[in-house]
Amino acid sequence: MRGGMLDRRLLVVVGAGGVGKTTLAAGLGLHAARRGHRTLVMTFDPSLRLKDALGVGEAALDRAVEVRADTPARLDVILLDARQTFDRLIARYAPDQAAADRIYGNRFYRELAGNLAGILEYMAVERLFEVAAAREYDRIVLDTPPTRQALDFLEAPDRIVGFLDSGAVKLALKPWWEPGGGIARAPMRLAAKGVEGIADRLIGPRLLHDMLEFFRAFVPLYGGFRERATEVQKLLRDKETLFTLVTGPGEDRIPDAMFFARKLREAGHRLGPIVVNQVHPKAEPGGRVPPGLEDGLALFGYLGDRDARGLAQLRRLLTKNEPLVVVPLEAAPPTSLAALEALGAGVAAQV
Amino acid sequence: MPRASSGLLPTLLKRELIVVTGKGGVGKTTIAAALARLLSDAGRRVLLLEIDPRESLHQLLGTEPSGGSIVKATPKLSVQNLQPQKVVESLVREKVPLPLLAKKIVASSIFQHFAGGAPGLKEMSILGYALRTVEGDYKHKADVVVLDAPATGHGASMLAAPLLLADLVGGGQIGEMSASLARFIADPKRCGVVLTTLAEEMPVQELAELVALLEERIGRPPELVVVNGLYPEFPGGRTARRQGTRGDGGPVDPASGWSPDQLATLWRDRRAVNDRELERLGRIWKGARAEMPLLALDRGPALLEAMTALLGEALA
Repeated sequence: MRGGMLDRRLLVVVGAGGVGKTTLAAGLGLHAARRGHRTLVMTFDPSLRLKDALGVGEAALDRAVEVRADTPARLDVILLDARQTFDRLIARYAPDQAAADRIYGNRFYRELAGNLAGILEYMAVERLFEVAAAREYDRIVLDTPPTRQALDFLEAPDRIVGFLDSGAVKLALKPWWEPGGGIARAPMRLAAKGVEGIADRLIGPRLLHDMLEFFRAFVPLYGGFRERATEVQKLLRDKETLFTLVTGPGEDRIPDAMFFARKLREAGHRLGPIVVNQVHPKAEPGGRVPPGLEDGLALFGYLGDRDARGLAQLRRLLTKNEPLVVVPLEAAPPTSLAALEALGAGVAAQV
Repeated sequence: MPRASSGLLPTLLKRELIVVTGKGGVGKTTIAAALARLLSDAGRRVLLLEIDPRESLHQLLGTEPSGGSIVKATPKLSVQNLQPQKVVESLVREKVPLPLLAKKIVASSIFQHFAGGAPGLKEMSILGYALRTVEGDYKHKADVVVLDAPATGHGASMLAAPLLLADLVGGGQIGEMSASLARFIADPKRCGVVLTTLAEEMPVQELAELVALLEERIGRPPELVVVNGLYPEFPGGRTARRQGTRGDGGPVDPASGWSPDQLATLWRDRRAVNDRELERLGRIWKGARAEMPLLALDRGPALLEAMTALLGEALA
């Protein structure tokens, strides 16, 4: 009963870009709502077509909007926005408005922090945690940002905790942490002088100053932020959380998929089905080829064989307990709620 | 089959850096390799740089994996898998006169986090490596560097990094380096951007965003858009009727074997998606464009050979 794709509260959909993750997440969400679960789909940057199909627009940016599907239970969608989530986090943990404003106004935060490796990924799990803690939904489907290596997402909380705990931050903060909690007026004097001198020479005083300002403004938030990141780490390893990995069928995709599957398990996550999407069908042997179509059908014959080869390779690498879901290439991406739901139901039924 | 872009090749032959980027999974690496081959076949000494730690260029070129060093694929074409961290580290070693101190800095956690987490620094070090290669600062000389850049958003961030850093840093050696790199990137005579996409909805949408982002961040459009992986045109056009559609019974098992008519229907429908997206692309992007077909070839030297010939035709 717990073996199904939608039997746990959280389903995290991961995989490389361009494999139809977002569409699949929406389809599975619809299917869950059809089965009577109050469901939320959280996604980054869906296609216009998918937004149209779901009937959600900018209004769903960073807040839940109901999808007008005629399902027994309600289906909501949130379009995730990393910057807004980050801003809200700061608002929550800042002791007062002035402290928050100091961060918002900092150039390092404005220009760089939003692009920091892992921030987008981290904000996705952060928002997931927020929603999960509110317990408004029976099922949450999280579509993660596309990452070539697809690992940034999982490592993001650990990396944030690591970064916050690292000597880098402490060293940067040291001069500001004077006895009594006051802020020292002579910055950097106490920071390792050799490092300071070289950092100064290499990156110039301005960036260093902005970074120090940022970390200084961050001090009062540090505790809450770190605790939160630790909670997020726990949530991703909770027994109510299931991961599903989406991949394409090409042979060049298989090593990536296997690599990621292994990493997921090593990191202590519960990996459910591996979904191979957009698989070209195999040609039946000995069919009569209509004249004029020989070349194109030869290409389709090749593509069918190529994808079958990739699937066979994947099957060999997986154990019996690791279900593989095969989704054939559709004539066109789904444009209606009905087509999305058929996709979700078709995938869920294979497990 | 590839659509002609009326003589772009002579222009591309004058560039010193060509950055190839696009959404993940659209064949960016194959296009970068084909472009590098094309330029080297025309007589330029080319260094093809790959950033992805999972190497794949060697499969296309039929060489040994680079493992970080420069590998010769043909007399005029070399390939290297570049590890950004290593480039940053060698920069520190160069700037810090005392080897022991440099070693200490590179090993320190503040440096590891700064170099690993500071956005822009890695990107800039890669661009810096490219610039110094074409300016002859290294033992290995090249006339042009073709950079198989990270996917989309990261690709644009990479090109914008020098300008952003030059502005933010405002001094120090990195600041100066940023400023000179920003000038190099902004010089349309020296540096060009090639975007790759598929004629499918999300890739075209991302392409539109990327074109806008390039305009905004570095103030210039790409030089060329390559549409990859097109299904062949369907004889009789998109309205041609086929018998024996596979019906609406939900997903069909792809292993069960489809009849030629079923496959022809799928072909027609997928090409119709391509046509629709090519049309949309035409409204978004008025500049040079090359269309590359999906080929019945595994990733390897034969595929590269065929893609190089087709790209050459499209740019001739």
